[in-house]
Amino acid sequence: MSINLFLSDLTAQAASAYTLVARWLFPLLALVILVRCLVPLIQERSANTVWGYLVLANGTSIPVRNWENLIGRGKYADIVVNFPVVSRSHAVLTFRNGIWTIADLGSKGGITVNGVKVDKAQEIQFGDVISLAGIEMALVPQLQNEASKFTDVAGGSSDTEGEKNSALNSAVTLLLLFLFQVLALVQLFASRDGITLAALPVFGIYFLVELLHYLLMRRLQSGNIELELLAYFLCGLNLALVASAAPSDLKKQLAAILLGIAAYTVITWFCRDLGRARRLKYLALGGGVLLLILNLAFGEKIYGARNWINLGFITFQPLEFVKISFVLAGTATLDRLLTTRNMTAFIAFAGACMITLALIRDFGTAVVFFGAFLVIAFMYSGDLRTLFLVTAGAAFAGIAVVTFMPYIAMRFAAWGKVWQYADSTGFQQTRTMIAAASGGLFGVGGGNGYLKNIAAADTDLVFGMLCEEWGLLVALCVLLVIIFFVFYAVLLTKNSRSAFYAIAACGAATIFLLQTALNVLGSVDVLPLTGLTIPFISNGGSSMVASWGLLALIRSAA
Amino acid sequence: MKLLAIRTLVLIALALLFLAGFTVFVGRYLHSAAVWAQHPSNRHLYQSGRLKETGTIYDRRGEILLETKDGVLTFHSEQSVRTAVMHVTGDRGGNVATGMLKVMWERLTGWNLLNGAYRYRDKLSAANDLTLTLDARLSALAYKELKGRKGAVGVYNYKTGEIICMTSSPSFDPQNPPDIEADPERYEGVYLNRLLSAAYTPGSIFKVVTAAAALETIPDIEERHYQCSGKIQIGADTVTCLVPHGDVTLRDALAHSCNVAFAQIAGEVGADALQHYAELAGFNNRLTFDGIKTAAGKVDVKHAAPVELAWAGIGQHTNTANPLAYMVFMGAIANGGLSVAPEIIARENMLPAMTKAEKRILPTETAEKLKEMLRNNTLAVYGESRFSGLELCAKSGTAEVGKGKEPHAWFAGFLDREDFPYAFVVIIENGGTGSRTAAAVAAGVLHAAVAR
Repeated sequence: MSINLFLSDLTAQAASAYTLVARWLFPLLALVILVRCLVPLIQERSANTVWGYLVLANGTSIPVRNWENLIGRGKYADIVVNFPVVSRSHAVLTFRNGIWTIADLGSKGGITVNGVKVDKAQEIQFGDVISLAGIEMALVPQLQNEASKFTDVAGGSSDTEGEKNSALNSAVTLLLLFLFQVLALVQLFASRDGITLAALPVFGIYFLVELLHYLLMRRLQSGNIELELLAYFLCGLNLALVASAAPSDLKKQLAAILLGIAAYTVITWFCRDLGRARRLKYLALGGGVLLLILNLAFGEKIYGARNWINLGFITFQPLEFVKISFVLAGTATLDRLLTTRNMTAFIAFAGACMITLALIRDFGTAVVFFGAFLVIAFMYSGDLRTLFLVTAGAAFAGIAVVTFMPYIAMRFAAWGKVWQYADSTGFQQTRTMIAAASGGLFGVGGGNGYLKNIAAADTDLVFGMLCEEWGLLVALCVLLVIIFFVFYAVLLTKNSRSAFYAIAACGAATIFLLQTALNVLGSVDVLPLTGLTIPFISNGGSSMVASWGLLALIRSAA
Repeated sequence: MKLLAIRTLVLIALALLFLAGFTVFVGRYLHSAAVWAQHPSNRHLYQSGRLKETGTIYDRRGEILLETKDGVLTFHSEQSVRTAVMHVTGDRGGNVATGMLKVMWERLTGWNLLNGAYRYRDKLSAANDLTLTLDARLSALAYKELKGRKGAVGVYNYKTGEIICMTSSPSFDPQNPPDIEADPERYEGVYLNRLLSAAYTPGSIFKVVTAAAALETIPDIEERHYQCSGKIQIGADTVTCLVPHGDVTLRDALAHSCNVAFAQIAGEVGADALQHYAELAGFNNRLTFDGIKTAAGKVDVKHAAPVELAWAGIGQHTNTANPLAYMVFMGAIANGGLSVAPEIIARENMLPAMTKAEKRILPTETAEKLKEMLRNNTLAVYGESRFSGLELCAKSGTAEVGKGKEPHAWFAGFLDREDFPYAFVVIIENGGTGSRTAAAVAAGVLHAAVAR
């Protein structure tokens, strides 16, 4: 045996031995990282600031915990004033830019402040006598120790013991994350065919970006950093999958992550202040309409739907960004939401989106938009009956679409019996399931899969690739992260500063959830295959940027 | 904000829907992942539709029945051997449902739910090999004895459960598969292991079941006498014998296979008891061992008219018997009423006796009486000279299968020998008289089994 052969055999042996050990570490590390991220995020919510107290004439003092508080007799009021004369939803008490305002929700008994009738809304000072249909009360400031909390949240940094602890904890989590990603990178090099050396600088830059962004966020942002860490985790897997399936896309994907983080930073900055956030909404609406028009005018068909725009030096999917506009279009502050109940702008925008989607024949995205519409509309109106009507209407429309559009009908035809059509219409689904079955719980090792050779393996079928190369357990961790985003958005709603943020967060989470659900369940034949991306995981620049943008909306609600 | 928090229930509902859908997937995964992974397009395990590599299958003497040589599935080196055990190993196309390539697919390919298709260094280990209890050359001899007739031969050790001979005809050379579709007559049901997956009308071999029921339920059965004039009228139908047997006891009736006597005995036993003992004998039950599931024989006399019960008692009516299950019943009689579950994969653990699956189906005395009667069959009718030294206890069967067709020939029984505790079954489709054709095959195979 020549020395070269001997050496290559030795390397091959070392690579195999590496995979043998590392494939057990990935799910373990993923699980540890996940738990270390979720626990502080969930715990953070239990601590809850009191902005002031509403003191009633009988001496009862009710804490004011939100920036937007519904006052009334109903059980869903934030401040329950249980007198028969008070309406179920009587008033909204709002705190914004240091100013308290009370707004009448068209109550029977009306509101007076210092004896003067409030027409719609009025600014109030501490100590003013507020009367809800004759029930008198006054707003008093929070106690001193609560005040210090107030400055914390407003952006200052303090060096309390707890903060130090949480900083240390998140630093350890980041280290574990690095460990996971470095081990994954080595695994890719140790895989059957190895990967291109060009992956090395891409991963290097990504590690650096993670570190810098982490440090930046630590400086700028109060509270937890774990939401970002979860996104880093998903993006790391994204790079690993792209390195395996489409190494030539690595640089583009890295650029998309960078752009995504930039978008994330900009949007969270906008959303810090409600005034700015509302300006962002109108900006996004304008941008969204523009993108829809651009798509209709210049859209190109690359796979299936006509949803690409080619600018010569770059191609992108405008509809990915419209998702952010869509969610923002549905937002409103609590007083606005309860007084005007006017959803015209949102419905109009949603309608424009649906028409565009129908014209470009992007059925999967239409389902996602519709789902987001339902969630946002319900949060806005609380009207279940209308919602059922809308859903029924949409179902009919959906059936019509499926019946009349042959290529969608074809997808539905294979649904539930893909093994009968394993080499024709069920090809993608059966290959995904075969890949998942081949990966077992721990995967065959990054880069060692075969699904990657199939078209759309790193986008529509990415769940199969994830299972095959990294194992069902890691794939499960990814789904857990997505479901956690939903859970977190729901959790944030109760103590959110404004309904604006709550709706934005829940809307964004809905889009994450539905995309993941349709992608995963479609690729394994539980639902018809629709060809969507898993946020942060699938290969795709526009999708990556938009995912960060949507995550920013969830972060802003915290 | 409580109001909005309540309204997020829609979102929670959507998340639950997703979880429900994903649970469906996980359920399917746990249930069917092995099937998914077996798809020939799975490049981890298959190359252009063929298994890339499997563990080696050895027979009890260490002969290689199946191995991967230079990336090709290779069967036994001799054509006659690999053809005879083709149903045991399975073929390359994975067509034999009870073949080792199918039922032991996970072990042979190294796939499992935990590790998927992952293999260290892409290599299989000795843990993926399989040693069978089978004697391949004995099976080859049995296949040869069938002389191209359709049927099956099985021999198993009734004390340990080891199947030492199993062959099914027709078969083909798995190394060079012929064009099956070109000759549908010759290759009828060729992928079926007839010993395991078929059920035939039992005919007279079923009289052993009727006799067992009679011994158990009729106290003075051994003293009773039956008169055979060559035929008996039951209801509107007549049950006949080829020759009148005259005055017979149960013992004589079994030896001479007297239909007239057994038709009466079945009537005396009654439908419920016959049904009960048939089920104890393994009818209406599928055997499961080493991943193999056999076809079930059938006895259904619960609501039978007297004439139907009479026909059932002599192994006709709607009765069917699975050859392997019947062999196991024969083994139970030999083993003093204790039925030992068959097995085809050699045990590797240190405590073979501890994990042996035994079931008492008859009291020892009844089993001993049946054994004596079956021994008498050989001495009185089949001829000891054909089976010299074997201590053969047996029953033949000639099962009528309908107009114009030759009857199925059966021969089933066991050797009453400590050193060779073998039970056996031979079935030849449309083979004629069981005591002639099937018994001849059995003689050849059993002499060889003892000689080896």
